[in-house]
Amino acid sequence: MRRYVIKRLAQAVGVLWAAYTVSFLVLDFLPGDPVSAMAGAGMDSGQVDPARIAALRHEYGFDKPVLAQYADHLGRALRGDFGDAVSTGRPVTATLADALPQTLRLTGAALLLAAVLGGGLAVLATYTSRRWLRQLLLSLPPLGVSVPTFWVGLLLVEAFSFRLHWFPAFGNDGLRGLVLPALTLAIPTGAQVAQVLAKSLLTALDQAYVETARAKGAGRWRVHLRHALRNASLPALTVVGLLVGQLIAGSVVVETVFSRDGLGRVTAAAVTAQDIPLVQGVVVFGALIFVSVNLIVDLVYPLLDPRIVVASDRRAGIA
Amino acid sequence: MRALPSFGPTRRSSLTALLATGLLLTACGSGGDGSGGASGPARSGGTLTFAVGSDSGCVDPQQVGSNDTIYSVRQIVDSLTDQNPKTGKIVPWLAKSWEVSSDAKTFTFHLRSGVTFSDGSELTAQVVKDNFDAVPKLGALGTLAEGYLSGLESTTVVDPLTVKVTFEQSNAQFLQATSTHSLGIESSASVQRTPQQKCADGVIGSGPFVLKQYVQNQSITLARRTGYDWGSALWSKKGAAYLDKVVFKVVPESGVRSGSLQSGQVDAIGSVGRADEAALKGGQVTLQSRANPGVVFGLGLNNARPLLKDARVRRAIVAAVDRKQIADTVFPTGTRPATSVLAHTTPDWTDLSADLALDTAKAKSLLDAAGWKTGSDGIRAKGGKKLRLTITWFPNAATNQPALELVQQQLKAVGIDVVLKQLQVSQFSTTVQTGDYEVVWTNVTRSDPDILRSSFSTRLTNFYHLPAGSLDSVLAAQAATTDTATRAELVGQAQKLLVQNAYYVPVVELQTQLGVAKKVHGLAFDSGSRVQLHDTWIG
Amino acid sequence: MSQSLLDGQAEAAPGPARPLDPRTPSPAGRVTGLRQALRFVLRRPGLLLSVVVLVLVVLAAFRPELFTSQDPLKGVPSQNFRGPSGSHWFGTDELGRDVFSRVVHGAQLSLKATLIAVLVAFVVGGLLGVVAGFTGRWVDDVLMRFVDILLSIPALFLSLAMVTALGYGTVKVAVAVGIASVASFARVARAEVLRVRQAVFVEAARSSGARWYSMLARHVLPNAAGPVVVLATLDLGSSILAVSALSFLGYGAPPPAPEWGTLISDGRNYLSNAWWLTALPGLAVAATVLATNRVARALDGERGRRP
Repeated sequence: MRRYVIKRLAQAVGVLWAAYTVSFLVLDFLPGDPVSAMAGAGMDSGQVDPARIAALRHEYGFDKPVLAQYADHLGRALRGDFGDAVSTGRPVTATLADALPQTLRLTGAALLLAAVLGGGLAVLATYTSRRWLRQLLLSLPPLGVSVPTFWVGLLLVEAFSFRLHWFPAFGNDGLRGLVLPALTLAIPTGAQVAQVLAKSLLTALDQAYVETARAKGAGRWRVHLRHALRNASLPALTVVGLLVGQLIAGSVVVETVFSRDGLGRVTAAAVTAQDIPLVQGVVVFGALIFVSVNLIVDLVYPLLDPRIVVASDRRAGIA
Repeated sequence: MRALPSFGPTRRSSLTALLATGLLLTACGSGGDGSGGASGPARSGGTLTFAVGSDSGCVDPQQVGSNDTIYSVRQIVDSLTDQNPKTGKIVPWLAKSWEVSSDAKTFTFHLRSGVTFSDGSELTAQVVKDNFDAVPKLGALGTLAEGYLSGLESTTVVDPLTVKVTFEQSNAQFLQATSTHSLGIESSASVQRTPQQKCADGVIGSGPFVLKQYVQNQSITLARRTGYDWGSALWSKKGAAYLDKVVFKVVPESGVRSGSLQSGQVDAIGSVGRADEAALKGGQVTLQSRANPGVVFGLGLNNARPLLKDARVRRAIVAAVDRKQIADTVFPTGTRPATSVLAHTTPDWTDLSADLALDTAKAKSLLDAAGWKTGSDGIRAKGGKKLRLTITWFPNAATNQPALELVQQQLKAVGIDVVLKQLQVSQFSTTVQTGDYEVVWTNVTRSDPDILRSSFSTRLTNFYHLPAGSLDSVLAAQAATTDTATRAELVGQAQKLLVQNAYYVPVVELQTQLGVAKKVHGLAFDSGSRVQLHDTWIG
Repeated sequence: MSQSLLDGQAEAAPGPARPLDPRTPSPAGRVTGLRQALRFVLRRPGLLLSVVVLVLVVLAAFRPELFTSQDPLKGVPSQNFRGPSGSHWFGTDELGRDVFSRVVHGAQLSLKATLIAVLVAFVVGGLLGVVAGFTGRWVDDVLMRFVDILLSIPALFLSLAMVTALGYGTVKVAVAVGIASVASFARVARAEVLRVRQAVFVEAARSSGARWYSMLARHVLPNAAGPVVVLATLDLGSSILAVSALSFLGYGAPPPAPEWGTLISDGRNYLSNAWWLTALPGLAVAATVLATNRVARALDGERGRRP
């Protein structure tokens, strides 16, 4: 068990390091030179003052050799220093830390909603014996993954804020202000939960132990929830990391639609301002969330299903 | 308002007259200043939520130039004087009285006693001197304030409550400048900080509100300054403000702002465009509007760019813009198409509408003459190079994008291809300062025609890279004269030079339009069409 | 974004391997295949509708003038904010432009971006996967580690980082979206190549001394391509969404280009007085994605697995 834990931890750290490296490569060495981007803010580069570029290059250390820059940046990143945001001059880490609680609240609520709505839908669709109901329920998830979230958000604002006056159209005020954005964010995720869970529920219901339980005289509902759902949720658990990553990233759109303070809006503003240190911080943070959630899932998984430690190598892939 | 203004009897009379002439008729749509139906006595307390469209990324009144942010930071500082938005008259605020020398070179202000900043320090002549000494060093963001003080020779402390400001030349505009937010007085501690620190953390002022929290791109929260007792002579309430708290929220979409005002989530909104008017009328909302004086909205040309060095191209652009269509389609009802570089509510405005008429035939022949021949796609070209203009703009008003899309269509009709390039509001100053633009969509609000000098004199910042020439001397002369008629004549000349040389393409006047819930009372415009919240209360 | 999740599933589930077909299908087989496909579609009204929607959208992208004669870029300013009507199906916008015409012409930009995105993902991802799967050993290890890392960064963040580096514009947004789904393509391509490599006839070809490139071209690629192509169709829907999300955020083409995401984001300014400016373009996006996903699912499951 200890070896398993250590191995997972090492993998997580490795992935984080690599994610940092990838973001460094993407942001600092792609043809769109960040310095001329900053100097000209995207103007035709021919018209940017070369002296200004040189000064900026020096300021950000872009005139040093690539490897030296990388080592320098990585060293500081390891100490939690991602530099200062270009647009505000505030440290990136502090900017993210300030914005994070609002986004965690939003994504937490969305995850809960997605699990409840998506899970409920999957259970009901696989439980019901009415064909039309099953058809109807199973047609919802494909719809959920097909609608643009920003559009859903705007329709909700139009209906529930402007017409019915039930919920605020923007801002971070209290629980009421959380309802519409969380719902918006939960729709695609909930749809995916429903798809994955319905599929594994159907598989589980075909399994021998379900037959056994039925033969032993367990009620249908009981078999469905106690036996099938329990086993079917295990595979669903492995995608939680991916879903949380998606939710965090989805906050960029949802927070923009609802003018909510948070990580997503900070990210959108950073991209607009081509604020490279800040964008890099966001990317690495996204990977951190993904890796941590997966790590937790990986560590919890053996407790739920002891077979997994033995077979852990089979599931290697994502750390 | 204990101390009555002791107007210097004769020495200032010509200047007072000068500053008060033909000023700022409040071209009000509905509402006027204050609110709709008055109901019951004014009440203290409550929070006003005000949704604005943008954040300029800075909360130092001396450095902010964008209306959406001025609305809030204006409340933090007091100015030496205030200007009556109806008459244009300069009235006492932190200065209970003042004298101006007959050559308009020396200004002596007598300060109120007992004024304190929110950090507890006292307002003294030394603090004012510290402010005026620091303003010229503000750098990139402080150009407006710096322009007001250009030619400053010295600021001297006469006694603890008397300060004397001396200029190298006559500086007729300075008294009005002291009423602006740009020369709002900050505490000595604030003045000593760097411009960047002041921008990010805000400043300590003596105003009716203090800055409680600033979250960039999101919100600015103000709290009432208790014990405030030195309001402008224009305000009706004595002592502290009515409101406990004011929260300015940044909501970029005008549709969301107006929807939230209707649903009661916010109490007031800025920058109401024509599109929102129909939806807002009739409900629990009053629309308040006021024409802004100053330089009208228009295309600020970078006159140093090869393409725009050619006067024929610039004149063609001026002739190709259909100002009326833009004013009527996009801007609030009652907005006037530009009739000069200055808005009609600015003193000494000259009607040059004949020079600004739509004339596509003229535009086309000018471009033909300049060698730009129409290609198969309808876009002109010369020597294989397309006639393409990049207009840089900033989303600080909902009207900007649709207005520019119309400009784009109108210029395309004469064969000019326009690329619209959006930047963040916080990038405005650096873009204009560094000249990293070809054409920029801009305007400046100020109720003194000297704004022409701040904007176009090549001896100052020269944002638009004009060539030095006769315009400079005209602009300098109008600033130096104290004679009303002469100044009007010179200002008129400057406007003609600007329009006829097409250094700037005037498009449309700015008419500030706010949407205010009916329960909000006493939300008043100041002389620059920004808001004053000291007298505001929620019923 | 939704894609990677399902791919992960597809790959993780061992399941019965699809039968390998060493021969290319004969012309006769193709005709009966076509007839079968037709019957298959006709029996499913939802699928039929989806196919119709897709055909219309693709047609709109290439021949917008078939659908509307109105100028998408220029309108009559005095007729702005007209609600949907017979003369303006989707109403008019703030400058009096016909919104339906803008949506139709926008299909071109948005579909172009989507195709570029999928192509980037297909080519780059496919190449990575094939190289990894075919070469094996340390190359495989290194490439797949890299792919894992790409998977650990949420797709939208990766796209946003690319946009930050590359700048704005339809094509740049498309590339950014494509790069974000490279990882899933690489994984599927590698898995397929591995599966095919171990097949009997490939082993036979190898032992009979065939060159590696002829083996790759004649046996491995044709057999491995199927699932990658299916993935590409599945990826279309999510790419449309990702592209329009980025243009909604303002990173697409500058005005007046009528990209779908831009239309919705512009309409947001008039949410309280002109609902049609957001609702109807959004409906077009949703319908297109739904149709694409439906067709892709049909290709993936119903037809592929139960021939």
